[in-house]
Amino acid sequence: MRHGKYPFILSFLVLPVGLYAWLVILPFAQAFQISFTDWSGSTNQFDYIGFDNYINLFKDDRFVIPALQHTGIILVVLPIVTIAMGLFFAFMLNVGGRSRQGRIEGVRGAGFHKIVYFFPQVLSLSIIGILWKQVYAPPSFGGLFASGLQALGLPAPVNGFLAEKDLVLACVIGVLVWSSVGFYLVYFSSAMATIPRDFYEAGIIDGAGRFQLFFKITLPLLWESVQTAWIYLSIIALDVFVLIYVMTPDQGGPDGASEVVGGVIWKYAFKFADQAFASALGVVLFFAAMTLAVVTLRAGRREQIEF
Amino acid sequence: MRNSRPSTNFSRRRLLGTTAAGIAASSLAACATSGGDEDTEDVSVGGDAENPFDVDPAAPLDVVIFDGGFGDQYAVEHQKLYQAKYPDAEIEHLATQQISETQQPRFAQGEPADVIDNSGAQEIPIDSLINDGELAELTPLLDAPSFDDPDVPVRDTLREGSLAKGTFNGKVYALNYAFSAWTIWYDNKLFTDMGWPVPETWDEMLDLCPDIQAEGIAPWVYTGVHPVYLYDMFLMLAGRHGGVDVLKNLDNLEPDAWSQESVGLAAEAMYKLWEDGYVLEGAPGLDHIQSQTAFNERKAAFIPVGSWLPNEQKSIAPDDFEYAPIGVPYLEGSAQPGLISAGGEEPFIVPDKAQNKAGAYEYLRIMLSQEGAQIFGDTVSAATVVKGVELDNLAAQLTDELVSNPDDLFQPQFRFWYSKMDEEVRPALGALMSGESNPDEFLDRMQTVADETAADDSIEHFTHDE
Repeated sequence: MRHGKYPFILSFLVLPVGLYAWLVILPFAQAFQISFTDWSGSTNQFDYIGFDNYINLFKDDRFVIPALQHTGIILVVLPIVTIAMGLFFAFMLNVGGRSRQGRIEGVRGAGFHKIVYFFPQVLSLSIIGILWKQVYAPPSFGGLFASGLQALGLPAPVNGFLAEKDLVLACVIGVLVWSSVGFYLVYFSSAMATIPRDFYEAGIIDGAGRFQLFFKITLPLLWESVQTAWIYLSIIALDVFVLIYVMTPDQGGPDGASEVVGGVIWKYAFKFADQAFASALGVVLFFAAMTLAVVTLRAGRREQIEF
Repeated sequence: MRNSRPSTNFSRRRLLGTTAAGIAASSLAACATSGGDEDTEDVSVGGDAENPFDVDPAAPLDVVIFDGGFGDQYAVEHQKLYQAKYPDAEIEHLATQQISETQQPRFAQGEPADVIDNSGAQEIPIDSLINDGELAELTPLLDAPSFDDPDVPVRDTLREGSLAKGTFNGKVYALNYAFSAWTIWYDNKLFTDMGWPVPETWDEMLDLCPDIQAEGIAPWVYTGVHPVYLYDMFLMLAGRHGGVDVLKNLDNLEPDAWSQESVGLAAEAMYKLWEDGYVLEGAPGLDHIQSQTAFNERKAAFIPVGSWLPNEQKSIAPDDFEYAPIGVPYLEGSAQPGLISAGGEEPFIVPDKAQNKAGAYEYLRIMLSQEGAQIFGDTVSAATVVKGVELDNLAAQLTDELVSNPDDLFQPQFRFWYSKMDEEVRPALGALMSGESNPDEFLDRMQTVADETAADDSIEHFTHDE
């Protein structure tokens, strides 16, 4: 039967691979091609200009350089904070409760908490953006945070949080964390559920506290999941655009203080009509994402524990 | 488990090989970046006043309308007029807010629509369309006999100043159909009730501010999130002081244009509004809906917006609210205190590669007829660039008075000519008004970006002709 194998397999793969090539690989390849031209996006004429777009990328200190910096910050902060909070909550909900008659349980009302934390995941990102824009609004315009701070007699930004150059990026990251923690909580919870209870019971008998249980048992056994979460969150971080578009003043403001790579690609492609430059930035982003995924997987490789 | 590693059959090398082949194939096919390259014929004006562009009565017409504040009802009515004249022509009508997303690919394929209302936040940057040679000049349209009177060319039926915004280096590429002005708005009812005089000069305005504040009202509010609303207030303040040439120098990217005395005075005046606390608290964080709502709620006395504001707020503002416009109060020693930023908005363009260019010109000619303009006025209660169409509302009549002197009409252009420079000036204006940068820092930054724009070889530069 061996000789008939390939035609048989290929007959199944033609459609999906064809679609994938047409809808994914071809546009990618075209972005590479376009990035070497001076194509504006609204004409059918263009010239090849070699690496000029790539060189100019790193000279653009109004858009590209700040965007790279801000995306870099998000790339570091978002995964760390989200994973830390996700792990903490998941641990509390599954293992962290007081042990009753030697049984390992989560804190009281764990099921309810899980649902509440998961809520933001159900909302579309643009709705989240509009919601939080109002939460961050100036105190005299119903901004929840600023009015709350004022009510407590604490200093609050009079123009709202998003109008402050020093706060706007942190505000956006806060929303990103808020909206993704729920998912990773559920994700880590289900991973934790596969850890046999006897491990914890053995640990407790040996006198381990919650900290030791977490760092000596839970975290090592969840390593694979953490790694996967890290890659997902990194990709989200590289991809931040919707929130910037919906929430921040002038889509990346005030005065460029929340410019991110995705937003700058959009600005060049559609507001400045420089598709070629946008494509070059997209190509850079593509390689950054690939490198990141590979490095994360390689660097995080550890011995597998079978149980 | 003989086949434990089936993936070896589809090895990495093979995958890369396939991908490379794919890339090679795509650069040959390149469907997004190829397309027809034939130029359509240029349209000339013939002798027949009924059909000056020699329209093929059976040729279909493809019209794209920006479905924004004006809606698309007026365009449907215009198309009925076209259809009445050419019953065999099939009209493709698309009303959308996504002009760029829907139309850019068509330009890229070399198959653009015939008439495009290139407006709104998703407009295709017109400077780039012109740089690429994608737009047809509208000279044939302007030279053609007008719809209502064959002895008068279309050009002469338009209001003064209405072509300025669509003119690039002396060539008209866009017909800006709606006529509007950037003004400062106040509530006439509030001012009458309080007995406040409507200020003519900046100093009168400053004198009034403490009285306004005494009533618990902030003198000014503006849309901090979109500083584009500050452009014309700032520029007219400078232009009124030094005369229109000050603004032409800015547009022409003259060296040291931003060091002109009038520009500095205007920047200081704007900055001082913040310094003196005459701006509603929180304004830098407000979007246009929030700032205009605050104005409707009489939390502030003045707001800088365009002449569409009363129409936009008609159903929202309190019933006794009386929208009234003034030009920005002028600084002491102003050379041209009547200067006002007014002219055409809502640019209609005809692509150079349009299939039915003659039909497109004819459609625009019909829009510019008295009947066409009246339709627009009746459906959206806004003025068009066509002379002699009366509008029946207070704000429009007051605006008409402000724009009555043709020598005082001027639309600053650099933000339309250089969309990247606009991206730098806007946030800088916002920073100036929120007190984040002082006038000197602001002016330095502006001169830098102006010099950079002037030195940029990759874009076409435009000037006002003398």
